[in-house]
Amino acid sequence: MRRGRLTLLVLWLATLAVLGLFVTRHLTVSTDLRSFMPAPTTPDQRLLMEQVGEGPGSRLLLLAISGKSDEQAAALSQQLAAALRKDERYAQVLNGSFDIGALDDALLPYRYLLSPTLDHQALDAAYLRDELEQRLDDLSSPAASMLKGLLPRDPTLEVLKLAERWSPPKSPEIVQGVWFSPQHEALLLVLTHAAGFDPDAQAQAIDGIQRDFDALPAHAGASVVVSGPGYFSVVANTQTRGQAEWIGRISTVGFIVLLLLAYRSIGSLLFSALPIASAALAGIGALVLLFPQVHGITLAFGFTLLGVAQEYPIRVLSHRRAGESAVQSVRDLWPLLLTAIASACIAYAAFFASGVSGLQQLAVFTVTGLLVAGFSTRYLLPYLLPDRVRDVANMGWLIRARRFVDRLPRPRWIPLLVAVATVLMLVFAQGPFWQNDLSALTPLPRDLLLRDARLREALGAPDVRYLLVLQAPDEQGVLALSEKLEPAVDALVARHAVDAVELPSRYLPSEAVQRARQQALPDRAALTRALAEAEQGMPFQSGLFSPFLDDVEKARSLPLLTPQQFGSSPLGQRVSAMLMQRDGHWLGLGTLSGVHDVDALQALARDSGGDVRLLDLKGAAESLVVDYRARILHALLGATALLVIAIVVALRSVRRAWHVLAPMTLATFLVLAVERVSGVEISLFHLVALILAAGLGLHYALFFERDTGDAAEQRRTLHATLVCVLSALLVFGMLAWSTIPVLRAIGLTVGLGVAFHFCLSILMAPHARQD
Amino acid sequence: MLSLCANASAPEDAATARALVASLGRPAPARTPFAEARFMKMLDKPLVVSGQLAWLGGDKLERTVEHPTREVSTIGDGEVTQQREGRSSRSFSLKRAPQLQLLLDSFVALLGGDASRLEQAFTVQHSADGADHWTLTLTPRDAKLAQTVSRIDIDGSGNEPHCMRMQEADGDVAIDLLGAYAAKMPATPTRDALAALCQGG
Repeated sequence: MRRGRLTLLVLWLATLAVLGLFVTRHLTVSTDLRSFMPAPTTPDQRLLMEQVGEGPGSRLLLLAISGKSDEQAAALSQQLAAALRKDERYAQVLNGSFDIGALDDALLPYRYLLSPTLDHQALDAAYLRDELEQRLDDLSSPAASMLKGLLPRDPTLEVLKLAERWSPPKSPEIVQGVWFSPQHEALLLVLTHAAGFDPDAQAQAIDGIQRDFDALPAHAGASVVVSGPGYFSVVANTQTRGQAEWIGRISTVGFIVLLLLAYRSIGSLLFSALPIASAALAGIGALVLLFPQVHGITLAFGFTLLGVAQEYPIRVLSHRRAGESAVQSVRDLWPLLLTAIASACIAYAAFFASGVSGLQQLAVFTVTGLLVAGFSTRYLLPYLLPDRVRDVANMGWLIRARRFVDRLPRPRWIPLLVAVATVLMLVFAQGPFWQNDLSALTPLPRDLLLRDARLREALGAPDVRYLLVLQAPDEQGVLALSEKLEPAVDALVARHAVDAVELPSRYLPSEAVQRARQQALPDRAALTRALAEAEQGMPFQSGLFSPFLDDVEKARSLPLLTPQQFGSSPLGQRVSAMLMQRDGHWLGLGTLSGVHDVDALQALARDSGGDVRLLDLKGAAESLVVDYRARILHALLGATALLVIAIVVALRSVRRAWHVLAPMTLATFLVLAVERVSGVEISLFHLVALILAAGLGLHYALFFERDTGDAAEQRRTLHATLVCVLSALLVFGMLAWSTIPVLRAIGLTVGLGVAFHFCLSILMAPHARQD
Repeated sequence: MLSLCANASAPEDAATARALVASLGRPAPARTPFAEARFMKMLDKPLVVSGQLAWLGGDKLERTVEHPTREVSTIGDGEVTQQREGRSSRSFSLKRAPQLQLLLDSFVALLGGDASRLEQAFTVQHSADGADHWTLTLTPRDAKLAQTVSRIDIDGSGNEPHCMRMQEADGDVAIDLLGAYAAKMPATPTRDALAALCQGG
């Protein structure tokens, strides 16, 4: 017997080790929040899903360097920008200094096709004369030294015109050649390649910035702060993870102490951990086999929901009788345990029907876990447990507790009263019922938000809420549409409806416009003549402008600049981020800064006849959450129906099923009502927590409903339930104290739920009166 | 004339230079008329402008051109702002115009009579001929700046600077006649004529 036990233990542990090895080898965890979101259904939602992570707005980090004199901060800004530009994690780094090198040599002749000069101006003698006169003024002005090098190649200064056109629409003040805030911080804009809402990737990008900054020779005494959506996702992530971890550690210790007190046996405690460990590993194993990537939230939720499985070994331990083998105890308990396992599986399987990949993973993980925990509790655990145990039924306090419970008055009107109170509370609760704003669940410290607003204002960085979406059959159509829109948009900016709008055509004109500009370029002979005429009587050396003649000649025969070609240059990456192909058509994104009049923008979109839309990312996100919730609720409805059938079949009695399901249902709605009355708006996380609590409550009701006709067995039931309730209260009650709403939502809901389910199961248990 | 300075002992020379710079100090705001001739390789003949230079105190200079076209430039706080009649103003960083940084450094130090500031930015050589005339030769200490401006010569007599010659590394040179000398700008200036004017009048 002893040897058999050891073999079993070794085999079990070995299996777990192999499973553990398999899991650690193959598990890839994705932290991208979007994969936990439902599949978008409307075009706006689809765009949102992309924009949330990939849009230029959400990938933008705002940097501020402070703690040094303007001059030193400016130098640090330049050095940091240079270091970041070399790093391939960053698509674009702007700090206000115009870098002529950004338009590389091969693209330089394109300046005549990109700059709007030729739209209203021919390169004729009169224009050149005027420009050259201005250049002479420039040469005798303080700007001379800056322009001297540029002049032979670009006497009309097209490069500077483009630089002006491409700098952010509302630039910050330039001090010492770089952007500065009114608070004397040097400002930078960094566009990451990583998606904005992928906290891990963003953490790496932000870490890279800090590292590059710390590597600058003169950084001592100065500091760089980062802001933006990517940074916020990192902060929210670490905050939540940090609190969850320390709360988890405390409650684990509490949980172990509780079990030791309850069973006074380290062996039992250690062995009872095996089913849970097997459940978790098997759950992850199933995910690894079925899905290419496992979502981080799935795992977090999954471990929470798996808490139900801890009940199985606890029930076995509490129901052991003195002198009876563990195998026999489990056999007696098994029908009820099986009902409990099956019903929890049905409830969790509801997530699978949601059609959301994150929730489907959750269903696979929890159902696998529950089955493994249940069956290992039945067929493996009893063979390991020590033969001799203390029967909890004879403990003095338990006898007194059972007596107290049995003596509780159980008037028939209690359920009715609770039901009426619940309905009244739900009806009269103030405020909106649902919380649709997911960001409210991981709020950011106020000073971070204020700092972000301040930097965003100073940098004129685009709003992350609104986007103009331009739609056309092809890329050129989008660019043409964008050009057509420019006058209307300029009018809106002039009216202060919006501070600035950045359209794709600002960076890259359509081929039609490029072609028109190209055709407006004079041939070499004509330009030489015009230049000679313009230079008449001017002191410029003869032949000085031949690089200019060469460039214009080259520009005349250049193939038109395509988004692909432009996109491969550092400057053109901006355009690539603004153009995308979707379902056979192309979309262009216009970013907006400082939106003051949403109606005016909506009117602009309406007047376009459907080609231009104003996308409200917040609105789209909320509609997505509403969708998401509808799916969960539908799935739950189905699960409830299945659950009723399962319980009726298992108990073979509608009346008994009623005694199990009524307290559970009532308690669930009571939790909802109490939370609503205390002003809590119900979010997805509350729903998930309610489901867990309902699963636990179902167990309590099932066991309390069981009529064994044996007072000692009833005491064991109470003991098991008390241990379960206390451990759940311990784990989730701790979470309820968290300052992070998402953790508080789960903790409070499960904590309240466990308490209500327990009380109502006892008060509504049918036969305690006769006991 | 320069041979004289070669004989002077170094510490003594430095002391005289300091005393001279201190004597040049004026209370801000200090204004002086100027006429500038700029000789550039890319031009057949020099560009001549005239107007007023003003030290507004602190690190701020204002350069007002009255002829041939009106233009006001302010140099200070790391930035240059240019305002030309009938056009929108243009700003750029001093970093991109190192000549201006040197102009600012030398001018502010001279008008402030601040010898130590001058010595911070430049190595200063002083030479004087027997008469009243002196020359301060400033060489930028910053190697990078020295790549664009090789030196600045300032000529004067008594406590009046007359001339400022900025020699750029690429061979271009800008000669500013200051104060009463501003009126002496010839109609068609040449480098030699102006040098002679500056060095002896």
